[in-house]
Amino acid sequence: MTTITGYRTILCIVLLVTGLTLFPAAAARAATLSELAKEFICQCGCTLVLDSCTHAECHSKTQMTALLQQKIDEGLPPAEITALFVRQYGEQVLASPPKKGFNLTAWLLPFAAILAGAALVYVMLRKWVRQGNRPQPGAAAPPTAETDDPYARRLERELRDFGEKGFR
Amino acid sequence: MADFGYISLVLALVAAVYAVFAFVFAGRGKNPVLAHSARNSLLVVGGLVTLAVGIMLFALLTHNFRIEYVAQYTSSDLSWNYLLSAIWAGNSGSLLFWAWLLAIFSLIAVLQKRDTGRELVPYAAATLMFIEAFFLVLLLTVANPFKELSFTPAEGYGLNPLLENPGMLFHPPSLLAGYVTFTIPFAFAFAALLMRRLGDEWLMVIRRWTLLAWLFLGIGNLIGAWWAYVELGWGGYWAWDPVENASFVPWLVATAFLHSIMMQRRRGMLKVWNISLITLTFVLAILGTFLTRSGVLSSVHTFAADPVLGTMFLSFIGAVVITSAALVYYRYPDLRSESEMESLLSRESTFLLNNLLLVGAAFAVLLGTFFPIISEAVRGVKISVGPPFFNQVNTPIFLAIILLAGICTLIGWRRASAKNLLRHFLAPGVAAVLAAAVLFVAGLRQWPAIVALAICAFVVATIFYEWFRGTRARHRMRGHNYLKSFGGLIMSNRPRYGGYIVHLAIILITIGIVGSSLYDVEKETTLMPNDSLTINNYVLTYDSLDSYDTLSKTVVSASLDVYNRGKFIGTVTPEKYFHRNYEQAVTEVAIRSSLLEDLYVILIGWDESGGATAFKVMVKPLVNWIWLGGIVLVVGGLLAFWPEGRTAPAPRKEGTD
Repeated sequence: MTTITGYRTILCIVLLVTGLTLFPAAAARAATLSELAKEFICQCGCTLVLDSCTHAECHSKTQMTALLQQKIDEGLPPAEITALFVRQYGEQVLASPPKKGFNLTAWLLPFAAILAGAALVYVMLRKWVRQGNRPQPGAAAPPTAETDDPYARRLERELRDFGEKGFR
Repeated sequence: MADFGYISLVLALVAAVYAVFAFVFAGRGKNPVLAHSARNSLLVVGGLVTLAVGIMLFALLTHNFRIEYVAQYTSSDLSWNYLLSAIWAGNSGSLLFWAWLLAIFSLIAVLQKRDTGRELVPYAAATLMFIEAFFLVLLLTVANPFKELSFTPAEGYGLNPLLENPGMLFHPPSLLAGYVTFTIPFAFAFAALLMRRLGDEWLMVIRRWTLLAWLFLGIGNLIGAWWAYVELGWGGYWAWDPVENASFVPWLVATAFLHSIMMQRRRGMLKVWNISLITLTFVLAILGTFLTRSGVLSSVHTFAADPVLGTMFLSFIGAVVITSAALVYYRYPDLRSESEMESLLSRESTFLLNNLLLVGAAFAVLLGTFFPIISEAVRGVKISVGPPFFNQVNTPIFLAIILLAGICTLIGWRRASAKNLLRHFLAPGVAAVLAAAVLFVAGLRQWPAIVALAICAFVVATIFYEWFRGTRARHRMRGHNYLKSFGGLIMSNRPRYGGYIVHLAIILITIGIVGSSLYDVEKETTLMPNDSLTINNYVLTYDSLDSYDTLSKTVVSASLDVYNRGKFIGTVTPEKYFHRNYEQAVTEVAIRSSLLEDLYVILIGWDESGGATAFKVMVKPLVNWIWLGGIVLVVGGLLAFWPEGRTAPAPRKEGTD
């Protein structure tokens, strides 16, 4: 049982980590103006991506969009367009930090934190289960399976407890 | 008149400070006379801050442009509803509104008739009045809403035209109310720490206040999303802007808290965690208020960029964190729980995972929000963290949270057996597989969408299955018909079944987000009159461009006839407004909305001479499911919020468990 639970935990961890790579960055497949316009921050100060700039008439958006269109028309691959924009406007033009160097902290830390938390939760749960399963004199063994009748009884008990003791 | 407003705030500060000391001494000395006086001082604070708000509203309605705030955010052509809403349009006005809400909510929380937690009230009230005093100090020093100009301008600058939308009447007050309401549970938790009463009573007092704050914040965010969608003209509803994030993060942590308090109530577990979560929620709510006013992060929502105000907020946050952490450390022996569990496979485990993922999601959003500052400090390089980052990092976490909501529904407390799990998960599992198959056959090929929608189908099936089981059980035990049994089931434990309805709301919102973000189509084109544009099943024929003047602006309006599958369904008129007192043109999008999809038309520009006009047209599937989800969320939230009518304990027969 312990081994199976251990495998399940590992599987969960793997699934969680791979979540990062399973949802690929739009940049990898961006090819149209509309898609690329979501990859760069408008430099007018609105702090939003080009596609979402809230200014109805925005000089910066017009200029950047025209440059994007020009480079797309020239057949430049998205990666080279990105490099050109970074050279021209600096790294802050990218809507998300490139996945390298110090920026990896932002990309990986949330998952690392969740994994560390999951490990901690697992250890605590094991400890609590050990404490909970200590045999108590005179205590009846808890039911290991529920039939419909016990379910109905449990439901009634829970609803009654709520009525008497408040939310639970 | 401005002086009266200012003086009332000064007197309110004096009364609030008195209330802090009076409540502390009344609590310590059990002095009924002092307790009575302290309660009266709370009334005085509420009355004086209400008077200050009344004076500000009167100044706004009567165009008293001598007051800087009135001149800065209103003009004489503004309708009365937007004049009133200007109170939360700017920094000092919104802080005044904050202080007023806190004074009123404190009054309600303290004077509320309650069966449990009465002993906590004096210290909780002292905490509330301390926080009220902090906001009053801000209003009297760095953010005085009654500051007068040295002259009276003939006209005010006016409200930003983007704010002239019904969203302005509901979005800011709802968010602010959410932030403020979190103060009440924090104050009771703090009082519980101070008084060493760390059982369940503080949880009983604050559950509904937390739920109310959670609802306010959730509704506020959804109204903000709707407002952005209909007003800003980019076809989106969530930009992962720092201030949006700052309001989303406390909502996530509060969601975790609303789940984890059930663990404490049922099993006496997670006492330290619960106290920490509600403190964190409050701190994050203040952080949201700080972010809009400090200028520390660039945002479209920024009210002010005042370093002094920012420093004061940061000091306050620091003080709250240090004091609370010290108290938790000091009280740790009383917070240690008698944690015992019977099985790893139980609802308790799923609740712990749910908490981990919700707090993890909050951490991911917070880290992304502050990463530009961190990067600049570490590398000296300015970077941006926008939607691609947040979408990639959060999507797997949120999907895991939603999946867990389904799993959790069917796992019993204490212990579940593998056999039972298999039996109960069979139907929802089949529903998920069927949903995925149907979607694939229907032509969906983006697998993230298929996975997300299959998870949604699974969760919906688990909820309906649980309702069915409960209804059937009550029907069998009590002999009522199924409808009555279902109604009785829902009403007999409103927090639980309200919670399930909220889960359904989240599913509706998720479906809306998946549809509108993964399957939207857009076209940008220039049309001459009588030219047509085809997008999906729609054909739009450009008719004409008109221009007319109103009192405050010039409107340029384009007319396009819309056909869906060859059938004329109406005319849309995207517009641009040129306000006389505002430099930027404002886009008014035209939206034809249905439950299936929205046709979203934006007027981009036009050639003055030739008649050529540029449009951006989008088809956004399932957007309305998001707003529908919002309504369901309110229904579920209100059901869970509804007062608990206690029943007298019934005599129990042995062995019924």
